[in-house]
Amino acid sequence: MFLALREMRHAKARYMLILVIMLLVSFLVLFVTGLAKGLANANISAVENMPAGYFAVQEDAGHIFRRSMLGEQELKVARSVAGEEGATPLSLQMSTITADAGAAGDKGLKADVTFFAVDMNGLLAPSGVKGERITNETKGQVIADEKLERLGVKIGSFITDQSTGKSFQIAGFVKNSSFSHTPVVYMNPQDWLEFRQGTAGGQGAAASFNVIALHITAEQAAELSGKLNHAEVITRQQAVSSIPGYSEEQGSLMMMIVFLFVIAAFVLAVFFYVITIQKTSQFGILKAMGTKMSYLGWSVVGQVMILSAGSLAVSLLLVLGMNMALPASMPFRLEPLTIVGTSLLFIGMSLLGSLVSVIRVAKVDALEAIGRANA
Amino acid sequence: MSAKLIMKQVTKTYGDGAATMSVLNKLNLEVKGGEFVAVLGPSGSGKSTFLSIAGALLTPTSGEVAIDGESLKDKSKGELTRLRLEKIGFMFQSAQLLPYLKVEEQLHYVAKLAKLDAKESRERASYLLKRLGIWERRDHYPEKLSGGEKQRVAIARAWMNKPAILFADEPTASLDYKRGREVVSMIADEVKQEGKAAVMVTHDERMLEWCDRVLRLQDGVLIDM
Ligand SMILES: Nc1ncnc2c1ncn2[C@@H]1O[C@H](COP(=O)(O)OP(=O)(O)O)[C@@H](O)[C@H]1O
Ligand SMILES: [Mg+2]
Repeated sequence: MFLALREMRHAKARYMLILVIMLLVSFLVLFVTGLAKGLANANISAVENMPAGYFAVQEDAGHIFRRSMLGEQELKVARSVAGEEGATPLSLQMSTITADAGAAGDKGLKADVTFFAVDMNGLLAPSGVKGERITNETKGQVIADEKLERLGVKIGSFITDQSTGKSFQIAGFVKNSSFSHTPVVYMNPQDWLEFRQGTAGGQGAAASFNVIALHITAEQAAELSGKLNHAEVITRQQAVSSIPGYSEEQGSLMMMIVFLFVIAAFVLAVFFYVITIQKTSQFGILKAMGTKMSYLGWSVVGQVMILSAGSLAVSLLLVLGMNMALPASMPFRLEPLTIVGTSLLFIGMSLLGSLVSVIRVAKVDALEAIGRANA
Repeated sequence: MSAKLIMKQVTKTYGDGAATMSVLNKLNLEVKGGEFVAVLGPSGSGKSTFLSIAGALLTPTSGEVAIDGESLKDKSKGELTRLRLEKIGFMFQSAQLLPYLKVEEQLHYVAKLAKLDAKESRERASYLLKRLGIWERRDHYPEKLSGGEKQRVAIARAWMNKPAILFADEPTASLDYKRGREVVSMIADEVKQEGKAAVMVTHDERMLEWCDRVLRLQDGVLIDM
């Protein structure tokens, strides 16, 4: 590092410029990553946060929850494999609600939500509720995602389903429960039956539901797959990526991130390649004087590490500072694990970019030193 | 005193097949401690080739080279690198200092490579820089030095690790007559002071005053003058 540090000290302007470019790129990488995670969270956090690793869905539903329809028959089979606790039905319904004028300002509020009907003693019962919990016995009470609270709905106030006119009282709020970008409203199975009788069809009588959430192992999943006739078992990730819009949204952001990584690697590769070529005769001299190839190689790698780690550190501070300044409604999320992963990948790509230069340095012959007039 | 450099029957041919060219042809040379040898020859006579082989940068086609009693035969690239670091000091045309190291750091760098401890390195550097009259310039970058000063730093750098022998490749090429003579006399001084050996190749016949022996490279062999 003796040479690496002194060279950077001597050519401050040159290295500052590349540092700034790296800083901008790494900032963008972190920002877009945070945005992708935030959007994913705002989109399907209700499913992501379920303690169920697998779901049973109807065979021809294309993995889409809303299209799937299962009955007691399948639930019985699922429970024979997963046990009573390990399988719980989930029904859902997208809807538009209005909130009382008093609760959400003078004009009242209209919002799209997704109703989830779950067993309040089962796997999917909302946890970490702020306010009152509800049980399978409560009547007309629901737990809603915090997003509704941010829109002005308060605990104790009522929301009304637009198509059926049925009203529910908000008992409490939970964090991170979105489905298809809408806040989830949880109710118990009894309220659900009543609610469905009001909607079209109203065939709620013969207990039916959309999917079965399963807390099972991979082997159990395979076993269950064999036993179910008109249903298939999919992983949570399969379920999530089949939610309409999710793959497209994440896909395009992912492409941006990948490009940014590639750009970072190329910018560094070009920068270091050009200065390495400029210094060819210098490397010859150094080798003639007895400098080991590995020492010179590590010098280049050391400089790349300093630049990429330095730029990352600064852009991390910037991103975290910006995150605090952003309003809570902005879908942006950076968890420590994501930060660590992204940072390692960024540094890894930078090192990959420096590889050409290291190879170039390795190839310089000490012989170049003799018989040359110019440095 | 023991021989610092021995070259026996050294031959170097370039090219292969029909178009071979012998640059060195069974060349012999022995340089003892305290001896300053100059090798003269016009451009293209093989001076650089000779110096590269003697300096363990290039392997001869045949023949043997030994430095400070250590034969170069069958040595790996890494072993040769280490040998250059410990036993050989180099001076190149136009000094070839690292532009981003201050004068003193140029010396500390080679000391670091040789794993000298910091105190020893500082003492040795100040001793050499003072003797060569550039102590006041120790905190300057090479770009702030004159050609003569640069070449003096190069001398100090070459002697820093107390090598057995110094090889100088036309050290006066980029200097005017006066500065050139100064540099050569300084090399000679160091050789006497440290009891080491030096070989300088040059095509400038005016620089030979302080040399103990002057040889001419002709037709691939060295001839006494
Ligand atoms: N790598 C090489 N391949 C082929 N011929 C070479 C090579 N290096 C030097 N020569 C030839 O060997 C001869 C001696 O070159 P050199 O040692 O550089 O002489 P000098 O340093 O005295 O000018 C020249 O004719 C040169 O063209
Ligand atoms: Mg030459």
